[in-house]
Amino acid sequence: MLIFRKPIEGIERPQMPADVVIVGGGPAGMACALRLSQLIDQHNAEHPDSQLSKENIYVLEKAREVGQHCLSGALLDPRSMRELLPGFEKEAPLDAEVTKEAVYFLTQHSKFKLPITPPPLRDHGNYVISLNRFVKWLGGKVEETGITIFTGFAGSELLFDGNRVTGVRTDDKGVDKEGHKKSNFEPGYDLNAKVVILAEGPRGSLTKQLVNKFDLARNANPQTYGVGVKELWEVPSGRISPGEVIYTMGWPLTTKEYGGAWIYGGKDNVVSLGFVTGLDYPDPRLDPQRVLQDFKQHPFVAKLLEGGKMIRYGAKSMPYGGWWAIPPVAGDGWMILGDSAGFLNSARLKGIHLAIKSGMLAAETAFEALIKDDSSAAALSSYQKNVESSWIKDELWKVRNIHQGFEGGFYAGMFHTALQMVTGGRGVRNRYPAHAGYEHMRKLAELPADGGAEAHLLGPAKGDGKLTFDKLTDLYHSGTKHEEDQPAHLVIDDTNICNTRCVKEFGSPCQNFCPANVYEMLDDASQPNGKRISLNPSNCVHCKTCDIADPYQIITWVPPEGGGGPNYDGM
Amino acid sequence: MADTILVVVEQREGKLNRVSWETIAAGQAIAAATGWNLEATVVGGSASTLAAEVAAKKVAKVYAVESPKLEPYTPDAFAAALKQVVTTKQPKLVMMPHTYQVRDFVPKLATAMGRAVISDCIGFRHENGKLIFTRQMFQGKFAADVSFNSDAPWFATFQNGAFRGDKAEAGASVAPVETINVEIADNVIRNKPQEVFKEAKQAVDLTQAEIIVSVGRGIKEQKNIEIAKQLADALGGDLAASRPICDNGWLPMDRQIGSSGQTVAPKLYLALGISGAIQHIVGMKGARTIIAVNKDSEAPIFEIADYAIVGNLFEIVPPLTEEVKKAKAGG
Repeated sequence: MLIFRKPIEGIERPQMPADVVIVGGGPAGMACALRLSQLIDQHNAEHPDSQLSKENIYVLEKAREVGQHCLSGALLDPRSMRELLPGFEKEAPLDAEVTKEAVYFLTQHSKFKLPITPPPLRDHGNYVISLNRFVKWLGGKVEETGITIFTGFAGSELLFDGNRVTGVRTDDKGVDKEGHKKSNFEPGYDLNAKVVILAEGPRGSLTKQLVNKFDLARNANPQTYGVGVKELWEVPSGRISPGEVIYTMGWPLTTKEYGGAWIYGGKDNVVSLGFVTGLDYPDPRLDPQRVLQDFKQHPFVAKLLEGGKMIRYGAKSMPYGGWWAIPPVAGDGWMILGDSAGFLNSARLKGIHLAIKSGMLAAETAFEALIKDDSSAAALSSYQKNVESSWIKDELWKVRNIHQGFEGGFYAGMFHTALQMVTGGRGVRNRYPAHAGYEHMRKLAELPADGGAEAHLLGPAKGDGKLTFDKLTDLYHSGTKHEEDQPAHLVIDDTNICNTRCVKEFGSPCQNFCPANVYEMLDDASQPNGKRISLNPSNCVHCKTCDIADPYQIITWVPPEGGGGPNYDGM
Repeated sequence: MADTILVVVEQREGKLNRVSWETIAAGQAIAAATGWNLEATVVGGSASTLAAEVAAKKVAKVYAVESPKLEPYTPDAFAAALKQVVTTKQPKLVMMPHTYQVRDFVPKLATAMGRAVISDCIGFRHENGKLIFTRQMFQGKFAADVSFNSDAPWFATFQNGAFRGDKAEAGASVAPVETINVEIADNVIRNKPQEVFKEAKQAVDLTQAEIIVSVGRGIKEQKNIEIAKQLADALGGDLAASRPICDNGWLPMDRQIGSSGQTVAPKLYLALGISGAIQHIVGMKGARTIIAVNKDSEAPIFEIADYAIVGNLFEIVPPLTEEVKKAKAGG
């Protein structure tokens, strides 16, 4: 019997008042905290008689350590960091400045370099970074200024009073697999906050709660996502220089799938590489981790990695929907930042700088709210207005229809993209519609049994153990660890659908799209199709792919007990 | 007359819980800081004998609280008895160690007297005549100052290890022991204690095993584990498993080997129907000799096995067990 995690009911919880609670200690949350701290310091210096305190400003981070769940390629556009901390390059952990970029179109055995690097992918002036290390450093700065970061604490649900968000409830600790309190049970705290800021990253769980409760997305395009599966490699020296950036399109994907790879040269002969697959592919048997393994077998990549060693693995989803998929980002007592809102430039494949900028803008609004003691929807709407008149909008406006253009396949996408480039993003109409990714998933009955042209993307990778790896081996290198004795945090509305309909209609794609082997269908003679859904929740790497891609939309990812998750050292 | 601190020491089945010395040490520290008197009390069966032990410490007095109704322990009886003691002796502060037993009765006791408890304290301060207790919040991230603003008696419990038991000072002379016989009406006790639950014999420590027979998914059904157990018994070894077996509850968690279980390095490790995922391998690769049985010739376990048997374990293991038995009998 699967017991799913939910906050224990009917108990008294410790109540804690707060001014601002920021859920999520990633680049957006940390930038917000830091900017808020700067504004308070400035105010206090100018108003010695009416000081604002930082004591009631908290950042909640579900990982055991700051940065531990942060994963990205990554390339940092320094624009917003320069606004936040001028001269940050001197102290931030940056691997290298980008020296050269190349974009390749791959076929199975060869590659074509694009003669001109498309403007969005030109990265001169940007930095190759490890997001994990960067956020660790940024978090250190936040703590230095006197703002408290609660690591190991997740936001498990929002607190409401009518239409107002009044706070955040943290996770219950010490609950066993059956949902009963263990001897070390500690109820989650109710943080009653004037302002709740959601910076949970892509497909945030509290953000999802908020959007669903108030139907916030009714006027927006459905958000669409990709999943990035990444490996960090140590390679023999000389293979790739620090700051070298390579993007690929084409193989192993076919025209039916959206996605591509990145290869970034870091320092000390460490290479960051990964494959992003749009979570709107048609064949449910597609396995994004397998796609990465296939990619590595291309002669060009295999040569780069030969003799090297895979040192870390991870995966994370990312929002592709662009400007039209962003819901309202401010309301009565709440604001949404970064990837949770969908501030990502899918043409440049960059979102960290936008996350940081959104954090800064939200901080400015939060500061005003504290001064005026007014965090109503009207007061916080300045954040929405400021985003719409900032360079976030300028940048995202030009690429507002990129991903939607690909709903018709690769060639349609390239055509629309080209058109959008010369029309300031408009293309054939100002707002291209979008469909949620899972709606593209076809039933097995509609697809060739052997997979057809997509066969090489389907099913689990076997791995040779040197260049390519099976999922479990890769997963081991994510360092993911959770308290074992706790309820399953992948909340499935109705497991009967898994065992009866999904097995037949889609062949249980959860086994394929999850990059962490959380979902397994085990033999069970008592089930109508002989199979039963089984979960390995402690394998989870918190990528949210399941919540996004499941064709019945019956999976809700909620944070497991705080402190658990991957260990993305250097990622 | 100075206020009094009353330390309630803990005993179970006639033995003092060692943590009581920590509470005495804490009581002595608070007495020194505030100038209050320190007294102690033992409740329950063998109270007099144990009171004598406590009286060796530097306390002004020890109370032995006795009643046949206090044996065996029930929270109702203890709360009723202590309420009588506290009402009669009127201490300002009642201190206890933060044990399971204390957590069981002190809420009843405090509520019966209309008081709150400051629990799981890790320290205290005495400032400007005010006694401030320190307790942790957010799993130790915050330390909070808490103090009483009610009348006496005050109730506080102290965390294990917050004070050092060996710092409990001995008294210059033995403290006087006063016996208090409490009256507890029958209808006060609502609990009927059953036989005390005895923890199962020491959980198996596979790290000490020299021979381990381990099963994985290939064993197919729970009842088939018996086949592996027979082999383990014949060899004089221990039974273990990879994660899926323990996740299913077919074997207890303490028999799980791997990255989320135990790491072992026995002389001989037999892997039956185990594929050899890296998560399992890291738990047993230090074994001196590894024999693997698996019907999949490409199973990764064979990469680290010293002896690889590609075949059906249901056909291989029973005859193997027989051969082992024969070899052992034959000498």
